[in-house]
Amino acid sequence: MPKCTIDGREVEFQAGENIVNIAKRVGVDVPVFCYHPGLSVVAQCRMCLVEVEKMPKLQTACSTPATDGMVVRTTSDSVKKARASTMEFLLVNHPLDCPVCDKSGECDLQDNSFAHGSAYMRSTEERRTFVDVDMGPVIQKNMNRCIHCTRCIRFGDEVAGVREMVAIQRGNMTDITTIDGLPLSTQYAGNYADICPTGALTLKDFRFKKRAWFLKKTPSVCGGCSKGCATEVHHENGSIYRTLPRVSPGVNKYWLCDEGRFLFNHAQEEDRVREVWTKTSSEATWAEEIQKFRSTLAQAGSVVFAVGSDLTLEEMKAIQVFVSQHAPSAVLGHFGTPGILTSSEDGPEDSILRMKSKTANLMGAEKLGFKPLQKASFDVAIVFTAGRAVLPELQAKHKIGVGLFITKEAERFDVVLPSLSMFEKDGTIVNHAGIEQRLRRVVPPRGHCKSISEVLMLLANTGKKQGVA
Amino acid sequence: MLIKRKAPWWNVFYLIEVISGLLITMKHFLFKKTATLQFPEERREYSDRYRGLHYIKTVNNVENCTACMLCPTVCPAECIHIVAEERADKEKYPARFEIDLLRCCFCGMCEEACPKDAIKLSNIYEMAQVERIVLEKDVLLDQRGGK
Repeated sequence: MPKCTIDGREVEFQAGENIVNIAKRVGVDVPVFCYHPGLSVVAQCRMCLVEVEKMPKLQTACSTPATDGMVVRTTSDSVKKARASTMEFLLVNHPLDCPVCDKSGECDLQDNSFAHGSAYMRSTEERRTFVDVDMGPVIQKNMNRCIHCTRCIRFGDEVAGVREMVAIQRGNMTDITTIDGLPLSTQYAGNYADICPTGALTLKDFRFKKRAWFLKKTPSVCGGCSKGCATEVHHENGSIYRTLPRVSPGVNKYWLCDEGRFLFNHAQEEDRVREVWTKTSSEATWAEEIQKFRSTLAQAGSVVFAVGSDLTLEEMKAIQVFVSQHAPSAVLGHFGTPGILTSSEDGPEDSILRMKSKTANLMGAEKLGFKPLQKASFDVAIVFTAGRAVLPELQAKHKIGVGLFITKEAERFDVVLPSLSMFEKDGTIVNHAGIEQRLRRVVPPRGHCKSISEVLMLLANTGKKQGVA
Repeated sequence: MLIKRKAPWWNVFYLIEVISGLLITMKHFLFKKTATLQFPEERREYSDRYRGLHYIKTVNNVENCTACMLCPTVCPAECIHIVAEERADKEKYPARFEIDLLRCCFCGMCEEACPKDAIKLSNIYEMAQVERIVLEKDVLLDQRGGK
């Protein structure tokens, strides 16, 4: 393998690798703005300039492929000077409104300015200002903060597959905008905010909600479809504020669709059922309802257990075991997305990430031997869901729901026992390609929600211990 | 062991001690300034750097604060709670700004961290209350000190 030297450290690399990536491997941080590992290289921000031996001028580390025996210096005086002057140029037109900006705390411009720039500014000229166009429901634009890295333009072009962002005007007055000022049409618009190295494109949903440095980060997996994108959920004090994509080369690379990004809002909705809910009484308790549930199960003639394919493997297995031991005659079936009953019917919805099956664990349900739910009429129907699976039309005299429901959905049931959302439990889900991924509890559930395994345990516990909730 | 020291015979009268003590008393009574203040009527002058009751500085009746959350970040007592919102004349402003005075330790770090010169500690030091007090935004907007 060829070798090169970066800041005195010898490192092996594969042919074609650029200096930024190689340097990262040996712990040398080359500051970048326009370079993004998931996008093409343009080398226009000039922040990553490094000194390469035997080359007359400084080279951009992002666009220079390493060669055998190359000697790179990233901390020499000329490099430091180049970085400082690049930073100064970038800040000539930057409004420095960090107290207002949502990006501050996780802003590349802020970090690099702190590390490589000067605390003083020589320019006294007035800064350029823009009137911002509306970018649709996801993205808030503030052109004053833009440093023209064109990451967003390249993202739309190369990843999202829509050429909707363009740079108009020239030089100082370059305006990054949508074609004809139309709102963004892509279903991956949230990524524009992620890749923007400044606060020029930020999420409307997250606007002014929380400062980045307060948020705790828990790695998780998106439950929005059978793709199983790796996500990082940002939360504080039991509330989720946003979801960001986590780098996962085999699944979602660096990206996440908007549906998955804003999925957490469903679990935090105001009218989510968080206490035991019944059609008849408003003062139902867990103890009573479990008791009634148990006698209903014992008396009923035909019972169906409808299992949402958004549950985790562990929960599905628990239901399977419960049915085999306590209701062996009951029918067991999974439901999820209308029209997508088996994994063979599942497939990509577009050429990027989104899948047709809108539940995360369809593959897992099949692995455990669940069959799609057949339409028939029953005495009692018990529906388990984590809030993502579309509720099936069930013909039953008595309907019990266990899972995440909003009040409107709950009205279709006789009894609703509140359970956990995707963000409130541990478990395993299997994506469309058969990759098992681990879900971690991000926030504790509010109210009196119980996990499905706890509900089943209470149901199975017939005699001695009656202490419930 | 207790050692008995023999005192001179004139100590029996304590006369010298009584007279010198009385002289000290009279010196303070007649010639020195009194150390105490008649509090509500008279007040002690404090330096401008004194850290008392908080307020948010306003310019033309618009608060300087942009809800950047640096003061709750730096606050060691975690007594500042801010909810940021947007309004027509200001991109970001604190819709709610609360200071829990009982938790506040008057360290002045919020004042130091503030990039907008908004949160200030005034010279007011009379904060005794009969109940818990949380300073709300409308109270904080009262311009208490000329800082």
